Amino acid sequence: MTSAFFGLQTSLRGLLAQQQAIDVTGHNIANANTAGYSRQEAVLEPTPAYLIPANSVNNGSGAQLGSGVDVSSIQRVRDQFLDLQYRAQQMSLGDATARTTSLDQAQMAFNEPSDNGIQAQLSRFWDAWSAVANAPEDAGARAALVTGAQTLTSTFRAVSDQLTTVAQQAQDEYDSITGPAGDVANMASQLAGLNRAIGDAVVRGQQPNDLMDQRDQLIDRLSQLGQVSVTDTGDDRLRIDFGGVTLVDPSTPTGYTWPQTLTAPGGQLGALLDLASPTGPALTYRSELDAVADDLVTSVNALHTSTPFFDPAGTTAASINVVATTATVQTGSTGASGANDVAQAIAGLRGGTTDQMYQALVARVGVETQAAETAQSTAQSLSDAVDQRRQSVAGVSLDEEMMNLMRFQRGYQASARTMTTMDQMLDTLVNRTGTVGL
Amino acid sequence: MLMSSQLMLSDINEGYDRLTNLQQELSSGRSISKPSDNPYGTSRAMGLRGELAGLTQYQSNVDDGTGWLNTSDTALSQMSDVLQRARELLVQGGSDTADQTARNAIADEIDQLTDSVKQEANVQYAGKYVFSGTATDTQPYQLGTASDRYAGDAGTVTRTIGPGVQIPINSDIHQLLGDGQSAGDGKLLDTLRSISQNLRGGTTADADALRGTDLQSLDANLDTLNQIRADVGARTNRLAIASSRLSALQDNSTQLLSDTEDADMASTVTSYTTQQAAYNAALRAGATIVQSSLLDFLN
Repeated sequence: MTSAFFGLQTSLRGLLAQQQAIDVTGHNIANANTAGYSRQEAVLEPTPAYLIPANSVNNGSGAQLGSGVDVSSIQRVRDQFLDLQYRAQQMSLGDATARTTSLDQAQMAFNEPSDNGIQAQLSRFWDAWSAVANAPEDAGARAALVTGAQTLTSTFRAVSDQLTTVAQQAQDEYDSITGPAGDVANMASQLAGLNRAIGDAVVRGQQPNDLMDQRDQLIDRLSQLGQVSVTDTGDDRLRIDFGGVTLVDPSTPTGYTWPQTLTAPGGQLGALLDLASPTGPALTYRSELDAVADDLVTSVNALHTSTPFFDPAGTTAASINVVATTATVQTGSTGASGANDVAQAIAGLRGGTTDQMYQALVARVGVETQAAETAQSTAQSLSDAVDQRRQSVAGVSLDEEMMNLMRFQRGYQASARTMTTMDQMLDTLVNRTGTVGL
Repeated sequence: MLMSSQLMLSDINEGYDRLTNLQQELSSGRSISKPSDNPYGTSRAMGLRGELAGLTQYQSNVDDGTGWLNTSDTALSQMSDVLQRARELLVQGGSDTADQTARNAIADEIDQLTDSVKQEANVQYAGKYVFSGTATDTQPYQLGTASDRYAGDAGTVTRTIGPGVQIPINSDIHQLLGDGQSAGDGKLLDTLRSISQNLRGGTTADADALRGTDLQSLDANLDTLNQIRADVGARTNRLAIASSRLSALQDNSTQLLSDTEDADMASTVTSYTTQQAAYNAALRAGATIVQSSLLDFLN
């Protein structure tokens, strides 16, 4: 037979469990706007039943009497598969964003279409040659030509410098992210610390939900920088592989290894490495600009036979240089003051290979920047879509929490009512029984 | 909660970006402000700009050439008048009714006319001698009787009036005027000097020469002059045709360039208004979505 006070204990368990559930709801509501927070739920389980021995019920067998409820654990509501998808999207978003930023800078370096870009300067250069052809005797026209040519070459050099800077900036950003005080080192050390704290808590039988949220959030951020893969090594400690090498390993004394050379970076770091490399877009554009400069130097010098117009050694965009002076500008193949066949031939280069190569280069820059922008907006949409799905699982819905609050409040009230009922029964038993005749 | 507000925020941001792009198009009046806006359009616009600059340059070359040819034509027309006058004088001087005094006076006038011819040959356009070949700094003929030798060269001065199209704008005055009596080439200066000499000579042979070889020679030179003038006229016409063709091409290229890189204001303004309405609607809806919650209905 159970104790007369058994029911009080059952009600108390109910009160405590409902109260804990209300606390969890309160925690959820408080964190409704916390980034990276996963909704938590109290898992309620019936407590082990009280065994009533045989012959206690009327058919002679025994029975199990329920003894109430307990909060068995407080769990994060989170879909690990969506995490994987989100991180994959974050990686391509990191890649696309770095590319778009860098390509946009490269495109700005060209400053086309405008009245001051290389195209406009080339056009003015040919105009200047035509002006010289129309007035070969005129030293003023020749001086204007030489000045215009110097402006053109300095524009070539400026664009070349800016393209070099774009590549250098990508390298600098890579170095700063992967450096000893960079984001990767910082995140790796935090992840190692969280791994340790989580493992310790799990060993003690606790569920460190908020620490796990922090760790997941760090992994999300890390996945934007590069390829991340995560393996559970037991006790909820994670080994994290980053860019092809093991970054965080709970089995090592420090918990992480950095700096290392990434073998397959991916993400933002992969994009930055590519952008900084000699085969990356900025430096490819620069070498194509070199080809344009080379074509200009070669074709003009081939016609300007007396002395070179451009420095024959300066066949890159960075080294192109005018060596002709007002006195050495050659207008005609004979020395006659009115001879203008050379000037006309050079002016006739307008719209030729130099212009065409340059236009093709700018079109290529445009196409590649546009492709990067499209890739970025696609990656952004996909990432947003996965994030929404993830938030629909892990995010806090205030409506849902308010409903839970009502549910648990009613549960609490009902448990209290049960307890009151028990109390009244005991009152009857203790204070009103055996008082006949008193 | 977080879910719906984030979704809304990204949609509103997208709407705002579209609005900003349209605003930029409206304020700059251009649909292409950087190559990635429209890579094909950019390279086309760059090509068209280059073409347009070329056409403008050809047009100015044509104008320059036309000025040069007009100067030549005026000089040649003056020369033609001079030659007509010389012919009248020659016929008058060759007549037996003219006595020696009259012939001497005529010879004086012929000498003056010779200088006029040289002066016309020395005409300048923009500080350049148009009849000196490519030696444009050199005066082709010295005035006076000291030398009748041509000082220019036989070079051709050309102007480019289209891609690879060059037109000569100078005329070879040397084939008309020649190098004078010392060369004995029968050209204009030689002829005029002979006429002057024969007028002053006074012999029967001189009188015969005036009526015979001098007259024939002068007529031959007049023919040459007319040929040169016709040639100049033909080239002036060619330049005029080139000029109107270049203007048409310029108009065409300007139109194409505008179609390629200028914003179509009517459609941009319409899109802008539509986009703004959509953006406002998104904001209003957003405000409603964010506000409503179960909390509003609990008490």
